[in-house]
Amino acid sequence: MIKRVWLLPWIGSLVSLPAAAAWDVNITPGATAISREVYDLHMTIFWICVAIGVVVFGVMFWSIIHHRKSRGAEARNFHENTAVEILWTLIPFVILIAMAIPATATLIKMYDNTDADIDIQVTGYQWKWRYQYLGQDIDFFSSLTTPNEQIDNEAPKGENYLLEVDHPLVLPVGKKIRFLFTANDVIHSWWVPDLAVKKDAIPGFINESWAIPEESGIYRGQCTELCGRGHGFMPIVVEVKPQAEFEQWLADTREATVAQAASATEEWSLEQLIEHGEQVYNTTCAACHQATGQGIPGAFPALAGSPVALGDIDAHINIVLHGKAGTAMQAFGAQLNAVDLAAVITYERNAWGNDTGDSVSPQRITELQQ
Amino acid sequence: MSNPKKNGLLKAAFSALAAMFGVQSERNRQEDFSSGSPLRYLLTGVLMVALFVASVILLVRLALMLAGG
Repeated sequence: MIKRVWLLPWIGSLVSLPAAAAWDVNITPGATAISREVYDLHMTIFWICVAIGVVVFGVMFWSIIHHRKSRGAEARNFHENTAVEILWTLIPFVILIAMAIPATATLIKMYDNTDADIDIQVTGYQWKWRYQYLGQDIDFFSSLTTPNEQIDNEAPKGENYLLEVDHPLVLPVGKKIRFLFTANDVIHSWWVPDLAVKKDAIPGFINESWAIPEESGIYRGQCTELCGRGHGFMPIVVEVKPQAEFEQWLADTREATVAQAASATEEWSLEQLIEHGEQVYNTTCAACHQATGQGIPGAFPALAGSPVALGDIDAHINIVLHGKAGTAMQAFGAQLNAVDLAAVITYERNAWGNDTGDSVSPQRITELQQ
Repeated sequence: MSNPKKNGLLKAAFSALAAMFGVQSERNRQEDFSSGSPLRYLLTGVLMVALFVASVILLVRLALMLAGG
């Protein structure tokens, strides 16, 4: 950790102008010590730029006005002036070094991933995030929940339009969380401005970052590396809770996982499967195949009337579980549980005029997964 | 800028430094192109860049040390 904070007073003296902070176009001071440092740096550098702008343009306009032709000004024709050239090289050099010193101090802190209380692996998927609390038995996907009607302008947009998910990332207050970023398919980037964390999630690589959230609350972010059609549809929601509530959440989530596993052994009726399958379809499949089952011609095939959804059940299950090589169709076998898979396949075989009446049981999926 | 003519090597070093800084007077530039061998300037240039890289590495080490890393 940094022991020399002798730089901070002069940064503070520059940034305590309140006007800029009230502006919504500015970056956020955020909810962590690091995010406030980043904000202060940003403001320091911003005011340095303003000062440079005022001086440079001031001299320029003053010169234009005072040496105008109507006053009889005459140009001095000379080729070089080594002294001036050295001066205008040295001044920016000194300014850059002056900015680099506090920036380096903050960067070194941001890269100090040691002594974390909780490690969370964050994996980017097209187009959702997966959160694995390492060593805690918690592993879930976080998908967009904004209804398609809002996206298609058929309903008024909600308050958190495209910034809402089914399962937010839950963190405790005051603990150092280390994030390990990677991706399953293409490069994504995990960005939560309030935590001052913005890291690329790259297949085959692990990037690290950390945050200590200081206050309970909900912080929202987005993917910031163009990752395909659904890039704008994989938001990040971070819910920061007090330690006791966080532990309760851990317990509840583990319990829910166990309950889900148990429900895979129960009997599900066709109607139950279709009803549950529609929910799964809308959060997991509709981004490509569309809520109408019509797909997007030329990009994503329709499921309504498709030979897969109407044909051999095992072939249909196989493609959902294992994906289809060479296409955007992912392997959902690891992403969804047996009930979700059985339900969504049943739904696809019975929705949009696909009236096969076929029902796929969770037990059948469980068998195939083993 | 002063013009150290006495020593060829010193002059080459001075010119390499001026090139790295990006500012050189026309008079010095003309002199450089009319005297000495190009090889001397090339070798001095390479040496100066190596020194620059080494000093950046030392600077980073120093910064990390000051930060208690």
